[in-house]
Amino acid sequence: MLRIGLRLSLRGGREALVRLLLTTVTVAAGVAVLLCVFADYHAFETSNERPAWESTHGVAVGSTSGSTSAAELWYYSNDFYQGQTIERLDVAALGAKAPVPPGVSGLPAAGTYYVSPALESLIKSVPADQLGDRFPGREAGVISDDALTGPSELVVYVGYTTSELASLQNTIVVSHIANGPQTSVWTNYFRYAYGVGALAFMFPILILIGTATRLAAARREQRFAAMRLVGATNRQIGVVASVDAVVGSLLGTLIGIGAFLAVRPLLADYAIVGAKYFSSTVTPTAPAYLGVLICVPLLSVIAAVLSLRRVRISPLGVSRRTTPPPPSVWRILPLLLGIALYASGISLTNKQSIGTPLYPGLLVIMVGLVVGGPWLTAQAAKLLRRVRGTASAVLASRRLTDNPKAAFRSVSGLVLAVFLGTLIAGLMPAVNGITATPSATALNGVLYDGFSANCLGGCISEQANAPKQPPQDQMPGLDTQASSTLLSELKSRYPDAAVMPIYNAVVPTTSATIVEQPGHPHVSARSVVPCSGLEQFPSLGLCPVGATAITTDTSNMGIDNPRYSTQPIVNSASTRVSGDFSGLTLSSLLVRPTSATELESIRTFLATHTDASGSAAAPETFGERVQARLNVSNIAQRLFSIAVVLTLLVAGCSLAVAVGGGLVERKRPFALLRLSGTGVAALYRVVLLESVLPLITATVVAGATAYGLAYLAVMKMAPAGTAIPRPSASYYATTGGGLLAAVLVILTVLPILGRITGPENARFE
Amino acid sequence: MKAVATPPAAGSATGTVPTYVLEARDVHRSFGSTPALRGANLRLAAGEILAVMGPSGSGKSTLLHCLAGIYSPDEGEIWFSGQRLDKLSDSARSKLRRSEFGFVFQFGQLVPELTAADNIALPLLLGGGHRRTAYQQAQAWLDRLGLAGLGGRRTGELSGGQAQRVAIARALVAHPRVLFADEPTGSLDSLTGEQVMEIMVGLAREEGTSVVLVTHDARTAAYADRAIIVRDGRVSADLDAEVSR
Repeated sequence: MLRIGLRLSLRGGREALVRLLLTTVTVAAGVAVLLCVFADYHAFETSNERPAWESTHGVAVGSTSGSTSAAELWYYSNDFYQGQTIERLDVAALGAKAPVPPGVSGLPAAGTYYVSPALESLIKSVPADQLGDRFPGREAGVISDDALTGPSELVVYVGYTTSELASLQNTIVVSHIANGPQTSVWTNYFRYAYGVGALAFMFPILILIGTATRLAAARREQRFAAMRLVGATNRQIGVVASVDAVVGSLLGTLIGIGAFLAVRPLLADYAIVGAKYFSSTVTPTAPAYLGVLICVPLLSVIAAVLSLRRVRISPLGVSRRTTPPPPSVWRILPLLLGIALYASGISLTNKQSIGTPLYPGLLVIMVGLVVGGPWLTAQAAKLLRRVRGTASAVLASRRLTDNPKAAFRSVSGLVLAVFLGTLIAGLMPAVNGITATPSATALNGVLYDGFSANCLGGCISEQANAPKQPPQDQMPGLDTQASSTLLSELKSRYPDAAVMPIYNAVVPTTSATIVEQPGHPHVSARSVVPCSGLEQFPSLGLCPVGATAITTDTSNMGIDNPRYSTQPIVNSASTRVSGDFSGLTLSSLLVRPTSATELESIRTFLATHTDASGSAAAPETFGERVQARLNVSNIAQRLFSIAVVLTLLVAGCSLAVAVGGGLVERKRPFALLRLSGTGVAALYRVVLLESVLPLITATVVAGATAYGLAYLAVMKMAPAGTAIPRPSASYYATTGGGLLAAVLVILTVLPILGRITGPENARFE
Repeated sequence: MKAVATPPAAGSATGTVPTYVLEARDVHRSFGSTPALRGANLRLAAGEILAVMGPSGSGKSTLLHCLAGIYSPDEGEIWFSGQRLDKLSDSARSKLRRSEFGFVFQFGQLVPELTAADNIALPLLLGGGHRRTAYQQAQAWLDRLGLAGLGGRRTGELSGGQAQRVAIARALVAHPRVLFADEPTGSLDSLTGEQVMEIMVGLAREEGTSVVLVTHDARTAAYADRAIIVRDGRVSADLDAEVSR
């Protein structure tokens, strides 16, 4: 039987060859895309499993007892360059046995530093005053891949003397460097996003494989019926069908693996979750390769055998098969159940956690769309017959009503893509809107630098793991002398930059110079801001007319949520004060540079100037804070967008195969219709209607459902006053483009119709 | 037409060897709510050529399919060589179709992806026969039916008459005991139809094969030894029996 099966598949004439080719190509496309997903997921996981030296904990300087020969002083912070984060580790050995961070052979000596390859090239490519000057000393070497998540990561280990580093406020003593996996709060979310994306993507892949396997099913059933007539048993037919399915899918899998290997370098170059991975990790694991090699042909065999069970090939073929019963209205039940689950999940959602039924609800809705699709298709077909009485409409609606499952199967992948795309398009603008507020946008290019060692004015890059020990004997910020020097130097170096100093209202000595206005005690006021500076940043508010300085509460300005840190600081509690700032300490500074290069130069100047102030935190722009937050949602959105685009791609392949295959197997009835005078244009309309009607119907339902879910989520989770979700232009472009591409796919197949329905094709046998 | 013996009484099958190679007893068969056979009785003697005639929708094709074990009757019995055909498993009936029965239909019986030689050799290959022997026999049948040189053609490349001759060769290659023919000339012109009938009946007689020939065409029925009329799902008349009476 194997020989007969192979004979039928490989030497069964032109039609069999075309069928084999189509199956092979579609399975290859599906396998290549699937491997791309596996490869990137593997890179993502490998990156997460890298020893996270950044999460190292320690103890405060001076709190250690006993030998410190196996320890070092450690100061970890983030620096920035044009929106990119630089991970900076300032380190000084306390003894010969001090632990060595990954990627280098030894700790950098004082006055030297190690850099990652990407940072090394960046330093070399820009003027020293914009970046290189931030790292004191000379380069001692390059950090190897062991310490990095990817080739584009910017990392620097800077060597100091113990006395230099001990003077920095947040320096800690470390005797063990963390080597566990990254514990980023977002890791699990991204893993979940990958999982959901991959799951959602598996549907159309399975549909594609199933469709490709059942290509020209009617012709195959005719062949199998003829074989049954001369005595082939069901088992023998099963073997022949399996061989047929395996040949195409195995060839497709092998070609798909080859195609993946060809595009792998491009994939490694593309940063899906914000940073590039090492190309060596962008590859599926050996079990994944093996799984694809085994599972895809196996799935195709299962699909082929299942399709045989459904039609029960008899020796007389399937021509006498009775019309299957129409899909029952109960098919819509899973969709409704999923919506109910989701809604209950939303109702249980609060600020701390998301309601448990929400995720299974989403999954059940997706299954429900696939299960309910045939019923919707049948209803749409009935409606079409009622409202349109043309021959094309009658032919199309009759076929759709007779077998809505087959009609819907070819578009189910597209429907899922539309569902996912709409859901994300509805949610993301709301998520982004919360972060990228108008006030945050107005301060995009403005640098914020905080000098208060005890963070009274807010620290934007404090060392998270450092013990909180506010100094008892230090002033919270730059003293009058240092701040005056800083401001005058800043003015002379960058005369066109707008500068707004923020002084601490609380002074450490008795020489208070704040003059309160009668009736306006400054109970909550923490800062004093000169009006000349404030007027250069109007989004923060304006001083009353005639005022030279006011008290404000700027405590929010240092926190990393732009929704709060960029709000106007002038309010009814602000009071006029004297413009004399002598005796006040400078808590922070806002600077708006005139260009991107000036921004980096000012950042370098501020970062190197303020060491003595007790804060080594690098200044950051409000735009960079917004970007840091948006990056998370952008990555999630990108993951989903990729899943949607891939789904559209695979679903498009499915549709092309299904429509093309459907035409081939119906060439005889179409040929007979043409013989009896039906025009080719009418047949075109029949095929278009048969494909477009289920597509539009289910798309509208999927889109509306997804939008409704997004609306519920936004209304429940977003702060009051958040705008109603409105999908962006890119959503309409992606979804509309995908659907348009689907229609184009159908149109490209139509010319076959004219050729294969010629009178010569009307003959039997 | 030759006269045939009166069939023995029904119900005597238990433990007795039937005289006839094939027998239908009170066969009923419906499709949904539509009855196709309503108590059909029939006997076929070894080597006999029987024409089953009747108007469209009378149930003659359904009777043939029940006799061949393709359909199982809702009620009644089908006997073949002393065994209840309707009680056999699907695989046992498949084996019978492979070795004891042959089929020639109006169309749709050849595997389009296979060549004429492949199609003829197929029953032997399905039965586990040696490949070389199967193709040698197929070639012999091609020569016998005047199709020498056409063995490598796919069925779509053959004329209607050639395709029917290939179907006849395939039906007889395993030397079956019964050949079932359902409108075998229905898609052919009258001249080609006559040629096909002469070949089929001639070979059946040579091989000693019984034939059940379903047709609505009296000229085709004339090739049979006996003819019965099926009307409303019952065998309403046995022409030779009437003649003999």
